[in-house]
Parts: sequence; structure tokens; C-alpha cells
Amino acid sequence: MKNTIVLGVIGADCHAVGNKVLDYAFTEAGFHVVNIGVLSSQEDFINAAIETDASAILVSSLYGHGEMDCRGLREKCEEAGLKDILLYAGGNLVVGKQEWEPVKKRFEAMGFDRVYPPGTPPEQSIRDLKADLNLE
Amino acid sequence: MELQNKKWTEEEFLKVREEVLNQWPTGKEVDLKEAAEYLKKIPDNKNFAKRLKKAKEEGVTLAQPRAGVALVDAHIELLQHLQNEGGADLLPSTIDSYTRQNRYEECEVGIQESIKEKRSMLNGFPAVNHGVKNCRRVVEAVNLPVQARHGTPDSRLLAEIIHAGGWTSNEGGGISYNIPYAKSVTLEKSILDWQYCDRLVGIYEEMGIEINREPFGPLTGTLVPPSMSNAVAIIEGLLAVEQGVKSLTLGYGQCGNLIQDVAAMKALVAQAEEYFKVYGYKDIDLTTVFHQWMGGFPTDESRAFGVISWGAATAALSGATKVIVKTPHEAAGIPTKEANAAGIKATKQVLSLLKEQKLETSKALEEEIKLIKAETKCILDKVFELGKGDLAVGTVKAFETGVLDIPFAPSKYNAGKILPARDNNGAVRYLEFGNIPMSKEIKDFNRELLEQRAKLEGRNVGFQMTIDDIYAVGKGSLVGRPEK
Repeated sequence: MKNTIVLGVIGADCHAVGNKVLDYAFTEAGFHVVNIGVLSSQEDFINAAIETDASAILVSSLYGHGEMDCRGLREKCEEAGLKDILLYAGGNLVVGKQEWEPVKKRFEAMGFDRVYPPGTPPEQSIRDLKADLNLE
Repeated sequence: MELQNKKWTEEEFLKVREEVLNQWPTGKEVDLKEAAEYLKKIPDNKNFAKRLKKAKEEGVTLAQPRAGVALVDAHIELLQHLQNEGGADLLPSTIDSYTRQNRYEECEVGIQESIKEKRSMLNGFPAVNHGVKNCRRVVEAVNLPVQARHGTPDSRLLAEIIHAGGWTSNEGGGISYNIPYAKSVTLEKSILDWQYCDRLVGIYEEMGIEINREPFGPLTGTLVPPSMSNAVAIIEGLLAVEQGVKSLTLGYGQCGNLIQDVAAMKALVAQAEEYFKVYGYKDIDLTTVFHQWMGGFPTDESRAFGVISWGAATAALSGATKVIVKTPHEAAGIPTKEANAAGIKATKQVLSLLKEQKLETSKALEEEIKLIKAETKCILDKVFELGKGDLAVGTVKAFETGVLDIPFAPSKYNAGKILPARDNNGAVRYLEFGNIPMSKEIKDFNRELLEQRAKLEGRNVGFQMTIDDIYAVGKGSLVGRPEK
């Protein structure tokens, strides 16, 4: 389904508040949200995307290990046959207050279509996702 | 082992211990007798329990940061900076998130990558991987007591290693380090595993070594109504002292309304002491910890200092024994050591200014204390009833039935039916009670306060209020009013 998205918090991260808010906001915006919640592995994201025929995977990471946890996700998606799936990442993606541009570039180099800094309101990623999926 | 709130026998403890120490190779470094000898030599100024007791007697509030990085030398440098430059009174060692999930193999990868990248790739200190010797190196390199701070549902091996390593306090509890920190760990397991950690401290106490235990007060740190966090704190306190813990620090996370925050701290101490008395626990050295705002922070550093200072002021006015300090980098994630030191300095400046002041009692304060106590009692009475007198069993049943229910928690063993929102004064109230067994009077009162806010804002009471409140502090206000 075109408006189906997989949402979750990757790795050993248990930050649940933003996850619940994103679930609410994307659902309100008309998406079918498959929320796999906190503490989710790359495999959990991929399996959920295959099972639900999702068109995007939204990865949150708040605890700083995002860089290690996200590495290889694009390759694994391709191996699993999720060729054109959109990959978004957002949150406090790295350890410490680092300059944003290099962090963004690192994640784009890993194969993420869009990367969001801390404190991005849900409305922005909702707008971007609708544009990327030609939903409006 | 069947879960009950009863001190473990030596046989029970030693049986489990054998398995625990085999979970990772560094477990073999722990020798209880040798560790006891080492701990006896730790000077009083580096003993967490003794330092807290002294602060309580003097009526001062101590400042403690959070901090931890992947590598031992860098971690020592960080703690020394917080001690020397920041002026911290107590030191932490925040443990990384892989250790919290017992994923020691992944810690090893993080350690290697940190060496290669020359920056910490882990969000804390992987104490299990580094082992007893390196924990001792840390405590020997500083002049202050060191505590492990984390979020580990099964902290048994970690507790063994840090205490043997000379760290004289451990944060956590079977509820507070499970429900907000895990998705699928049963409460039966996490309560048993934390009984082990408490029993370990009890065994040290019986050998004449004072070690402090601190249940994690703020839970999800997001609009948790004070009566819910106080109920959990009192339960975890009772479970700990049953296992022989003597130095206990109960905590509370700042909500933001001064009267409510001070009332919550006062209610917590008074009620915990009442329960200890009723259940026959004597000689408990009870101290308190106040956590500066745990929710979303402003990105702007000057504004972040405003939030930090407000937390420091409330901690001082509430008479907290210690305050856990935030940093101006909070919105961006893990702070540099400089930012961390800056947070401590701002905090200590405010603590010092308010040293001679306490919030005078008033009708508003008295009524808030009365309300929090009444709400907490409603919850605790039902927990004891569900457990037929056994607090551990009652706690498991209370989460099953939503009698205990923590907002925004990730655990599937949490009902997630209650919703909080702020009233017009910024105090956190119950919007949805779920299955929490409050009296009709209390329910009506909470509702009335939220209806007053709804009326002022020209909207209905509902989840949008909660969402607006989650983001409000980051945007610069306490109450999430609708945007004009």
C-alpha cells in the first residue's frame, strides 16, 4: 500500500515518547502506520516492511548509537527485495552535539533518502513523505 | 524462583550468582571477600552512602551530573573535568545502552570503533566489558563517590562488577528500569533481578560496607503525575529494604510547577517513612534526589540554562539531598564535558543562592501535599490488595490490570491507558485515569482543573493538550497553549 509506512526506534534505544507522537501525527495525516516501537533491529524494520508492503521506513534514534545501528540497512533492504523503499532517519543520530551537515551527509551516504536533525516537527516529515510518494 | 517480597536466602542468592558471574568473562574478576576488603579501604569522602548522609544532616543539596563514554582513559578525563572544573559533588558513570540490554558483544564493537574513530561511539561507559579492575581505576582517579546510572532491566552482573569496582551506589529498580526502558521483559523477571541487586547491597551492608541504592524516580520523564511516580518509588523502596538495603535515595522528576514539585517531594518522604514504619523496617537512611526537567529541552543554550536553573531552584526549595543536573546540550543529545560542567556550575550557583531558603508552608502547598498523598494511597492500597499482602506479586498484578500505569512507557506489560495533561497553573494532572483506582472526588477534581484550562483555551480536553504539553518546554513555555 502506497500510504503504509513502518515506524520504529532502532537498536538498543528505548525512547518511546517521540515514537508515540509520530504514530499519532502520521495516522492523523492519513498514513497507515505500522509501528514496531522501540528496541527494533534492522531485521524487524525489514520484516515489517515486507509483510505490510510498505513504501517507506521511518527510523528514529535518540540515544546516540544511530550511526552504528543504521549502517547496512539500505543493503539489507535491497537483499530482501525492498528495492525502491524510502528510508528516512531522524533524531539525535550521533553521540554528541556535532555539526549537522556532515552528519546528514554520512547518513545520506548510507542510503537514507531524508535525514532530520533533532527537534524536527512531525509536520515537516509528513509534508516531505507526501511529496516523495506523490500523495498530494 | 517464585516471586515474592521476601529476603533471599543465602542458598538462593549463591545459586543464581554462579550463573550471573558466568554471563561475561569479566564476571570471574569478582570475589566478594576481596571486594569487601577493597570497599572497606575506600575513604568516607568517596563513599556514596556516607556522603549523602552528611548532606542530609547539613541540610544541603548536592549536585550530580550524568556522564559516560566508551573508553576508560577518556571516561576518567571526563569525570575529572566534571569534578575539577564543574565542581560536581557526586560523580556518575552513565552506562551505555548496549550494556543496558546485556549485549556485551556489541559493546566490544563499540569499544573497538571508538578506538579507531578517536571519539566515543557509545553513549556511556560499558562497565561490564571493562571489568572490575577498570572500574577501580575510575574511582581511584577521582576524589568523589561514583555511582552507576543506567536503565538496565537485568543489572545483576553490572551490579556485581561496579560494587566490586568500588562504586558505592547503583541506580535502578525492577519497575523503573524495566517499564520505561524495555519492550518485552516481564515484571516478574525484572523484579527478581533487582531483588538480586538489592540483596547484593544487603550482603555488603551485613559485612559493614555502606552502599547506596537509588530507584529511578522520573520513569519516562514525560508528564508523569507525581502520585504515580511516588507510588512506584515507595514500592521500589520497600522491595529494596526487604533485601537489606539501608541507604536509600528516592527520586522524583521535576514537572515544572513549583508548588506541585515541592509538594511531591515532601509527600514522597513523609509517605515512604510511614510505609517503612508500618511494615517494620527500621534504621533506613532515607535521602532524596530531584531530577531537573527530563522532557524535551530548548535547542538554544541560554534558554536551556533557564530550564536548568529552574530545576536547581526547585531542588533547593524542596530540600532535596541531591539534584541530577541537565546540560545546555540536552536537546542535541550527549553533551561535551565542557557543556556538562557548565550545567553543574549554573546549578551550583542557584543552589548556593538558595541555601538558606526553603519554601514556607502555605494553604496551596498543604492542599497539594494532601492530594498527592491521597492519590498515592489509592494506588498503593490496591497494589497490596491485589497481591494479598505481597507487594512484589501485587505490583505484577497491578501492571496487568492497569492499576499501575506509566504514561508513554514502551513496555508491553504497561497498560498505557492513562493520559496526563497540565492544568492552567502547569501542574500535571490525570486526563485519562485508565484503570487507576482513584476516589470519585479525586477524579472529579482532576477533571475540573483540566476543564478550566480547556475553557480558557477555547478547546476540548483531549490528547492534543497532552501533545502540546510534551513540546511546550522545548518551545519556551510550561503549558502547551494552542498557537494563535
